[in-house]
Amino acid sequence: MTTAKALGLARCPSCGTLTDRPGERCTVCGARTYTRRPNSLQRVWAFWFAGVLAYIPGNVLPIMVTQSVAGDSPSTILSGVIALIHHGSFMIAAVIFIASIVVPVSKFMIIAWLALSIQRGWSLSEHRRHFAHEAVELIGRWSMIDVFVVAALAALIQVGALMSILPGVGVNAFAMSVIFTMLSAMSFDTRLIWDGKPLGEEPQHGGD
Amino acid sequence: MKRISHRHHRPTEARIREIDQLNRTLIACPACDSVWERPALAPNEKARCKTCHTTILTNKHRSAERTVAFMVASLLLYAVAISFPFMRMERSGLSNQISVIDAVAILANNSMVILALICAALILVFPLLRIILLLFVGLSLFRKQSTARPHALSFRLAQKLEPWTMAEIFMIGVIVSLVKVGKLADIYLGPAFWGMAALIVIMAFGASAVCRDTIWHDIRSAP
Repeated sequence: MTTAKALGLARCPSCGTLTDRPGERCTVCGARTYTRRPNSLQRVWAFWFAGVLAYIPGNVLPIMVTQSVAGDSPSTILSGVIALIHHGSFMIAAVIFIASIVVPVSKFMIIAWLALSIQRGWSLSEHRRHFAHEAVELIGRWSMIDVFVVAALAALIQVGALMSILPGVGVNAFAMSVIFTMLSAMSFDTRLIWDGKPLGEEPQHGGD
Repeated sequence: MKRISHRHHRPTEARIREIDQLNRTLIACPACDSVWERPALAPNEKARCKTCHTTILTNKHRSAERTVAFMVASLLLYAVAISFPFMRMERSGLSNQISVIDAVAILANNSMVILALICAALILVFPLLRIILLLFVGLSLFRKQSTARPHALSFRLAQKLEPWTMAEIFMIGVIVSLVKVGKLADIYLGPAFWGMAALIVIMAFGASAVCRDTIWHDIRSAP
């Protein structure tokens, strides 16, 4: 078993065509080719910090303001979940809680763990890290649910002066946080995980 | 620093043949960079990387035909989903009926431009663009037309758009919002709701009908 890098080849990130001239544009699809994504971890961290920073106002500031004759009542993501529990909608509360709190927070932790494991050279299972990255890429987009909930409510509840729902500033921050985190996960070059795996000719102990 | 972005001239005939030859024999795993001999696959067979178990090659049966069929259906359902009323709300004599486009317009008109733009892009623009691009690529493969540069660019863009089309997430969001509003008002679902529901199912089938490897192989070895 050998790698494309070891053979001086590069796989086009877009169309998968192998080229013997890494760095040039792919002759098939025109994408820039590389053996490893340039500055992969720097991009990961840059988007990661942007995502974490945006996540804070996304949770602290109201994502939605309900205006009625009784006055304005702002609600955050967490207070929305609590309100749903009070209504007895446990399933929906669980969906929102998982999509808006559990998934983003675990995404931040997993991406940081993956990037650190490469930078610090931790000898962890390649398969496990690879799986973690796949899971993050697959599930990450679903954090957008709450943004769409607010958009749908705000568009629908516009009935005169009786009651109306307005999106709060928090929802923009939250949406940006999800987008930045998706970009962070996409910037991670999974081949870095496997680069740490010793090749046949240099046996090492440990690993799996 | 070798930034040669100004030029993107056509590769020479010899170079194209060289690349084609290299790719007829070898294949690399996108996830772990292992190089393997390119396996010959029977229809609907797929090859996994022995190192990391990622699928590295697929050969979906009649991919072009199925892609075209699902994309035509998607286009029709998309038309239904954006042009008909999406839902109607009634509360103490007042009623409010909106289409998906109305919804985005309401957000934009109420100084929520960022939210409106995000929703418009993820729910309306990107899905439509992806359907059209895949229809274009699928049709020319299906009709065995020459697949050249415009197809490569179209398919590249269609691939890039995939994670950014969120119609299915929007639908889940709508269902959650229905539960939230349910206690306050009467909600009636319009034809566009069912159109959108069907659209996300058909788009999922469409996405799984697309065989990247076949498409890129055809583009690569096109005369």
